[in-house]
Amino acid sequence: MTANSKIKRSRRVVLTMMGTAAVGAVSMGFVPREGCPPGTEPALDPRGRLYCRAFYGGFGGYGYGGHGHGHGFGG
Amino acid sequence: MRRITCPERDDWRATADSAGFDFHTIDGERYWDERAYYAFTLDEIERAIEQPTGEIDAMCLELVGRAIDDESSLRRLKIPEAFWPLISESWHRDEASLYGRLDFSFGGKGPAKLLEYNADTPTSIFEAAVFQWTWLEQGIERNIVPKRSDQFNSIHERLIEAWKKFGAGRHLHLAGATESAEDAGTLAYLEDTARQAGLATTLIDIRDIGLADDGSFVDLDSRAIDLAFKLYPWEWMFQDTFGAQLRNAPTRWIEPPWKALLSNKGILPLLWEMFPGHPNLLPAYFEDDPKATSLGASFVRKPIYSREGANVALISAGVTVVEQAGPYGAEGFIRQALAPLPEFSGQYPVLGSWLVDHTPCGLSIREDENPITGNTSRFLPHAIV
Repeated sequence: MTANSKIKRSRRVVLTMMGTAAVGAVSMGFVPREGCPPGTEPALDPRGRLYCRAFYGGFGGYGYGGHGHGHGFGG
Repeated sequence: MRRITCPERDDWRATADSAGFDFHTIDGERYWDERAYYAFTLDEIERAIEQPTGEIDAMCLELVGRAIDDESSLRRLKIPEAFWPLISESWHRDEASLYGRLDFSFGGKGPAKLLEYNADTPTSIFEAAVFQWTWLEQGIERNIVPKRSDQFNSIHERLIEAWKKFGAGRHLHLAGATESAEDAGTLAYLEDTARQAGLATTLIDIRDIGLADDGSFVDLDSRAIDLAFKLYPWEWMFQDTFGAQLRNAPTRWIEPPWKALLSNKGILPLLWEMFPGHPNLLPAYFEDDPKATSLGASFVRKPIYSREGANVALISAGVTVVEQAGPYGAEGFIRQALAPLPEFSGQYPVLGSWLVDHTPCGLSIREDENPITGNTSRFLPHAIV
């Protein structure tokens, strides 16, 4: 590169929330997303075949209209 | 373009953890891999990646402009008819896009070829914007890369600028599957950049979004969701319980509903139809199109809806060479001409070229031993040398 090259780099990358102070917010276990439909995740059946196992409620997944909170809805 | 092996920073895991990048290792396997990097010349970046990225984005917008109210196109893309009005209205209201990632096959020779467009829910933006930049800065300090190395990467500051256009002072909800560390990390990073742009933010799991009596979506504090970033695909939103309520609610979504057209593999044949012979496109056809036979016996077969390489098959001389498992394909398939990924030391890289607010601004590279990049591929940094 020359001194006159067009600069592509970021000059400053600052995080204000992520990192040590916020690490707890992103410390959940990894859920593989190998292309299953909404509310499901890939899993192997006892014969080693891939299938999609239901796990997730999705958008509106708790199935209530008026928004009640803290009532222990299962996901 | 070269693949250069190099020493790892001995403290990179601690650096990653302190930055909140806790999905650098997945199921015991490396996701972040700095045992090598890809080196480019500035000319390669500008002419082979940056310029085509901007051009293809413009072509995609032209495609949406034509397809958005065209029944034939919407049917070919298998967009559920009930959502045509929502999608069309979002386009005609000029609802803004935040970001996207074009995936290219490129090995340093000839034009980069578009493999697909991750237009709706692209991930890996934190590692592209932040952690590979940290690698470059520390790599220069520690003589891992040449002193004057650079990187195609202004993603971070462009995100902040883009958020400002959505409106400093507004309240932004960021929704997704927060049980996934990768998705939670992506949401946390975008939340960080939004706050730096002056937006107030609330992170919420997609399941926790509620529906108020007046038809508006609300958060766990019953606050109306006015502006929402969703790391959750539109085609899933359409199928989910609240999908039918989308059109009646005032929530402005990022990415906007019109992006549902571009996150669909069906745009590949539509682009080829509109821009035949374009040097950065591969010939592509819907599988039921008689012209698909013009590809001969070697092609890539992709479901119209697919993520992370699922159900993608590589067919060479009529034989299925590689096929990724998965549940997709009910909506049909497209066929795309075979553009074998370049091989570097037994590895197959795919280049991800980032757009923020329609500006090409960064590069990420996923590498795999398999010529179809899946969700187990590794992220390698790059440098302009």
